[in-house]
Amino acid sequence: MRLILRAWRRNAYLYRRIMGQNLRAALEYQSDFLLSVGSAMLTQVLGLVFLGVVFSRIPTINGWGFWQIVFIYASIFLTEGFASLFFEGTWRIGYFVNHGELDRILLRPLSPAVQLLSSAIGMNGIGNLLVGGVMIGESLTHVHMVWTPGKILFSVILLLSGIVIRTSINFASNCSAFWVKNAGNAVPFMVHSISEFAKYPLTIYAPALQALVGIVVPYAFIGYVPAGYVFSTSGMAWIAVLCPLVALYCAAVAGLILRTGLRQYESTGN
Amino acid sequence: MSLIEVRALTKTYRQAVRQPGLRGAFRHLVHQRYTERVAVDHIDMSIERGETVAYVGPNGAGKSTTIKMLTGILVPTSGEITVDGIVPHKRRMENARRIGVVFGQRTQLWWDIPVIETLSLLRDIHEMPAQEYRKNLDFLTELLGLDEFMHLTARRISLGQRMRADLAAAFLHSPAIVYLDEPTIGLDIAVKERIRGFIKQVNRELGTTVMLTTHDLGDIQDLCRRIVIIDHGRIIFDGALAEMTDAFARERVLHFQLRTPCPTAEQELQRIPNVTVSGLSDTELSVRFDRAFISARDITGAIMQIADVSDFRIDEPSIDHVIKRVYDGTLNLAVRKGGGA
Ligand SMILES: Nc1ncnc2c1ncn2[C@@H]1O[C@H](COP(=O)(O)OP(=O)(O)OP(=O)(O)O)[C@@H](O)[C@H]1O
Ligand SMILES: [Mg+2]
Repeated sequence: MRLILRAWRRNAYLYRRIMGQNLRAALEYQSDFLLSVGSAMLTQVLGLVFLGVVFSRIPTINGWGFWQIVFIYASIFLTEGFASLFFEGTWRIGYFVNHGELDRILLRPLSPAVQLLSSAIGMNGIGNLLVGGVMIGESLTHVHMVWTPGKILFSVILLLSGIVIRTSINFASNCSAFWVKNAGNAVPFMVHSISEFAKYPLTIYAPALQALVGIVVPYAFIGYVPAGYVFSTSGMAWIAVLCPLVALYCAAVAGLILRTGLRQYESTGN
Repeated sequence: MSLIEVRALTKTYRQAVRQPGLRGAFRHLVHQRYTERVAVDHIDMSIERGETVAYVGPNGAGKSTTIKMLTGILVPTSGEITVDGIVPHKRRMENARRIGVVFGQRTQLWWDIPVIETLSLLRDIHEMPAQEYRKNLDFLTELLGLDEFMHLTARRISLGQRMRADLAAAFLHSPAIVYLDEPTIGLDIAVKERIRGFIKQVNRELGTTVMLTTHDLGDIQDLCRRIVIIDHGRIIFDGALAEMTDAFARERVLHFQLRTPCPTAEQELQRIPNVTVSGLSDTELSVRFDRAFISARDITGAIMQIADVSDFRIDEPSIDHVIKRVYDGTLNLAVRKGGGA
């Protein structure tokens, strides 16, 4: 137990160290940075405008009001923001595998997962974080509810679980590069685009789609389920308890896929 | 038990077969075909602590593949490896603490980070005590001349500087074994010499075990006492470098400059055993002979009588020449297992 704790502390420390260096490198290219943050924000604001247009015609969707849906929407952005800012490296797994750059990661006495996760910093995540944060704040002030310390704590746990779920799904789908060996591997983008469905209440979809977003690629546990808990939607408080478990499950699956992939990693001829 | 033990080590790659052109690409999409490519084929090898081993062979022989298995990057298809008692691919991180690796063709440095920051990150990754780090860093800085580019990112330094930085990164944590895969590729002679000097000094002073692949025979002669030759995934020679040159140093070639053509030379020389004409033109005659059976003086004497010679010179066999003939298949060396230790 002490050993595991020590290993985690070491991983966290080295992760911070490497990300610090990434940040310094990223800030050298300041104009790129502003541009990517700006464009990320623009995309999301456009999505919101669209949502506003829809709601100007119909007052609720399956019992969910405008601000509640904004909350779901924003949860997706927020976790996306965290995932890109801190774990952008997931998107580079394909590059590492295809170019044999994974070699150098395997030659260092530090977990490959930690090294892959920390291999890049996604400054555009700041845009997502800003928009998502402001939107969540707004939605919470527009919907009346009672906050207790317990509820605040659990909401934070839900957010952390969401970040883990999101990152794990990104990680796992990008590990497909171990099997799909062409440069334009579409699998991670396909999986990522499924998160579009998670921006709305799950109940509006057909059962097959619900199963996809709720079970196969459980994005529903990032926005929809936490929203049900926060807004005390009947019957959903209990499902929210599953969020941390789903997070652990996703992380475990991602780790397993990485290990399987590493066993058959072939590097490159030169 | 030896430091590195390799038994029947084999690696087979699965290579996709793709017909040329767009049609081939589409066909591959529907019906994928693969061939198996045996890159390393049942090799055995033992390396002792403190040895310097040159691992050579023609392009595609399987050198890099072997190194990748020894370092734990690749999982062998079959066979066994133990390095200092552990199986590298099963306990990668533990193995990584004890080894240093340079792949000449590809840097291990972080691309966008200044070299000195890379070294300091590696210190943390290897959990080195501050004192040891300072000591090693000073040593490496001095020997490799890191000062001139320490504060630049890997992206901005030249090839020779990058190789020196890579060596520093590989040796920083005082590894017991270093694997150097073409560490002098593309370098100018001054940098090459500096790097060779460095490797020699580390081996001598710290007892670091060195396994080196290279196409530069100067590297081998300068650095290694033992040579292992691999071809088509099989080891075709394993022994002391001196032993190899001795065995083949008996062969000499004499070149005679001719004042007038001597078309009958070949016929005349047939009478002398152990001598063959290896080249004849109007102006030059070359004969190959075995020093153990006949002396250069006897041959020169014989030739003076049949030809009008203006000048001559003698070629010592170079290791270069020996290895080239082994690659060509014109020289067949018996494999001597575990030799040279
Ligand atoms: N990642 C890979 N996938 C498929 N085949 C590979 C791969 N790496 C190497 N090979 C094949 O295995 C064989 C041995 O390659 P390897 O890189 O070990 O040779 P090498 O001795 O290092 O050659 P060189 O001197 O050119 O570096 C080659 O025929 C090569 O085509
Ligand atoms: Mg090679």
